[in-house]
Amino acid sequence: MLNFENTMTLANESLNVFMVVPLALCILSFLIPKGLQRAYAIAGAIFFFALSCYEVSQGLGGQTLPWLSQFGIQLGFRLDSVSKWFVVLTGLVTFIAVYLKGNWYRKSPRIFVASSFFMAFALNAAFLSTNLITFYIAYEAVFVPIIFMVGIWGTQTKAASVFKFFLMSFLGSIMMLVSMFYLIYLYQSQTGQYSAQIFDLVQVSKSIAPERLCLAFFGFFLAFAIKVPLVPFHGWVRDAYVNAPMPATIYMSGILSKLGVFGFIRFVLPIFWDQAIQYHGILVTVAAISVLYAALLAIQSKNPRELLSYSSISHLGFVMLGIFSLTSGGVGAAVLLSVAHTLASVVLFMLLHFMSERKEDLTLDRFHGLAPRFPMLFVAFFIAVLASVSLPGTVNFVGEFLVLSFSYPVSALCTVLSSIGVILGTVYMFKFYQYLGFGSPNPKTGAESVAKDIGVFEISILIFMLGLIIYLGFQPAVILRGFSS
Amino acid sequence: MSLPILPWLVLSIGLLATILISVVRVGTKRPAQIFALLTLLATFFYSVTTVPSGVENVFNGAFEVSALTQVGLALFSLIGCIFVLGTSRYLTKEGIHISDYYHLMLLMILGAAVMIGSKDLISIFIALEVMSLPAYTLAGFRRHDARSNEAGIKYFVMGGAIGAVFLLGAAFIFGATGSVSIDKIFEWSKVAQGDFTLFYIGHLLVLIAFLFKVAAVPFHFWKPDVYEGSPIAVTGMMATVISAASFIVISRLIGIVDFGRIEWGAYAAQLKQVVRVIVVMSLVVGSAVLLTQSNLKRMLAYSSISHTGYLLLGILSSISHPQEIFSVWMYLFGYCLMTSGLFVLLSQSEPKADMGVELIDLTGLMKRSPYTTCLWIVFLFSMAGIPFTVGFFSKYFVFLSSVSAGETAFVVIAAVCAVVSAYAYIRPVALMVMRDADPSASNWKGSPVSTVVATVSALAVIYFGVLPGTIVQFLKGVPIGH
Repeated sequence: MLNFENTMTLANESLNVFMVVPLALCILSFLIPKGLQRAYAIAGAIFFFALSCYEVSQGLGGQTLPWLSQFGIQLGFRLDSVSKWFVVLTGLVTFIAVYLKGNWYRKSPRIFVASSFFMAFALNAAFLSTNLITFYIAYEAVFVPIIFMVGIWGTQTKAASVFKFFLMSFLGSIMMLVSMFYLIYLYQSQTGQYSAQIFDLVQVSKSIAPERLCLAFFGFFLAFAIKVPLVPFHGWVRDAYVNAPMPATIYMSGILSKLGVFGFIRFVLPIFWDQAIQYHGILVTVAAISVLYAALLAIQSKNPRELLSYSSISHLGFVMLGIFSLTSGGVGAAVLLSVAHTLASVVLFMLLHFMSERKEDLTLDRFHGLAPRFPMLFVAFFIAVLASVSLPGTVNFVGEFLVLSFSYPVSALCTVLSSIGVILGTVYMFKFYQYLGFGSPNPKTGAESVAKDIGVFEISILIFMLGLIIYLGFQPAVILRGFSS
Repeated sequence: MSLPILPWLVLSIGLLATILISVVRVGTKRPAQIFALLTLLATFFYSVTTVPSGVENVFNGAFEVSALTQVGLALFSLIGCIFVLGTSRYLTKEGIHISDYYHLMLLMILGAAVMIGSKDLISIFIALEVMSLPAYTLAGFRRHDARSNEAGIKYFVMGGAIGAVFLLGAAFIFGATGSVSIDKIFEWSKVAQGDFTLFYIGHLLVLIAFLFKVAAVPFHFWKPDVYEGSPIAVTGMMATVISAASFIVISRLIGIVDFGRIEWGAYAAQLKQVVRVIVVMSLVVGSAVLLTQSNLKRMLAYSSISHTGYLLLGILSSISHPQEIFSVWMYLFGYCLMTSGLFVLLSQSEPKADMGVELIDLTGLMKRSPYTTCLWIVFLFSMAGIPFTVGFFSKYFVFLSSVSAGETAFVVIAAVCAVVSAYAYIRPVALMVMRDADPSASNWKGSPVSTVVATVSALAVIYFGVLPGTIVQFLKGVPIGH
């Protein structure tokens, strides 16, 4: 059984700032004039990010507030060594998302800023919840800003992609809800009281015959596998990532996918430990297939966003492989790799946005020769590509190495197959870099030659993000400390 | 002097006064409207201030006054207020703003209010007719429109036939048990021996009559046409008051025998099987056909068919676990709240006759009237069961109750149907938010009063979606009385 640390002795009780601050920022944004929205959003996001870091540095904590206690729905929150990284990442991703310029600041900027902060609110509530029902509510609430973002600022086929995304996710999460009801019912039939607190339900799941929980396990598995996504459930990803406006893509790739990862760690492993062992072979195989299949899809992609979205799936396959190794060290490696993937993919999507601001058409079927014209941008791009292909010295390398070393004792075959995914990763990432950066540009499209390289502020953000990638690459213990092996 | 039936008396006296006053017309002012409103407010006031702690039987046990009837009456008069205030401009626009409308509406509410308290098959039948006859008339209220006439005739013929089915069932029950009083039938069921076939047939027939009223599949064919043809205000009343009253009577009729007794075990199992089939059909037909509708009123008709499915799921779990009936009350509460708000918004459609309010008329509404769009989104999200709206907790408690009652497989089916119908409810949201305004789309302009009414409903939908604790706690203490 996984045992991260003793959660009874946690002192930090000011967890509600993680929810109250973004919600307040969301409501306030309606009072700010349109012209000032971006400045407000950036300032608010920096404040929120700094506050998150400060609160996390104050130590772990937990608190429970009453809500519908007679039905077992408390507002239970807990900051542990898993959720603290996701909470910090939420702050960081929110900042990057609102920083990017685009038509979302021209057309109804209030809704964009409010959606961003609402997203941060819902994500934090989901990452901190110890109660299944509040987790479910927060998990669903994440849809609402995504629907608005893709719906208002997405490309032509946005409606179809929103529906695909919404329906698949909703199908998964409602199956999870039914499974939650089943667990609550089991608890109620044993004790006579309702409870949806994770600690109580873990007790129930231990005291019950494992076969009775199989269907409930698959309900949870389906929800999170769609959210991550794992390969047979990845149908929504391409359309959603490609048609969404860039901030929404950054949210989805950077942090929404981590919601699925987090769900596996926080809920599936503790409650369905026996089922996870029982179906272990399937889980590991699915993860390995995700790595390989998505990498192959990425290789044949012509659209840079599509390529990055498939590369996301491939890397998340590694994360899931770490979790399904069912060892504390593997889970730690998965958390480390999640952080690494968020940093790398957010930087890559951000750089892609900077490029598409400078050149409309970035199709990967010919050379664009952008590197000589935007040297700073492409230096950052190169480092990010190296991080994405897990070069030693980046945190991605440490994460993938640890994941593979923890999964090897569990399933040698799947580990070997996934290692091939690392090689395929270099194929598509370097192809990506090569087509965009090198070669002679098409002379017909010389209009964008007036565009300038990235500015000082952009460079400092990139230095910060890439610096984090390299710093954690040398000091992974910062994250791994909470996980005993 | 304590008079348990005071709220009903207030409503009846107000109704008579409204009929009398409706012959008077002072300029463009409509005293009938004001009288109806005052009556409903007074009824609401008296029903919430006189909630008894137990069950008080009046008229020799033919009628009960309890927390359930009081809450029901309060809810009905509240819905009445919402529609009187919210659809006044709509009635003027349609040219049917005549005083008869108000007393027919009050009569309908009175019928529904008497029906939920009736504990005697005969008084249930009388109340059913008192409720239905004004509904038939109101359905055909737009006399010059063929579809409204069709709705009136269809509703009347089918409703009349189903009234006869109810009487037949009541006759069978009387033949089997020797009584029409629900209390006496319950006492009989505790001691009865022998062959109950006659009773089974009678019981199923009276249930079918009310399943028809709530349009559970396969008794739903009248609903889309009647919804489409009737004036929006009337459709809204049908969707809320008549459905809610019928569901309360269904739960009373389901509990007519003592299922705790071993002799009734076989019948309970069969009855559950029947209800399960109806639940699945209502859910599947309701949510699947919902997807294909382009007319907003027909859409709401199929939406209410699928809501019927969820409600029957709650009823199903209450057959073996009577304490789970609160999930039905909670669902009815949430459903009435969001449906009445949605119909008030629907009545704000400006230039077209209300017949033609199509989905496409919502296109680009965000651009033209962002505030109305926000209200639409609240109600549609609530219909879909998105958290932070009352619709979420309505479904939540029905699903939780059904899992507790061992109906997990049907909860899974209901959950899949919830996804399908969520698509249908999000589609209008997508049209409103994502598309640019279409010049051919109609304008939506409500009177300030109707916007205020819709806003209050929307706030209530959100309030009970965030803090449902008090209302659930209260409804948990509302059993079905015997």
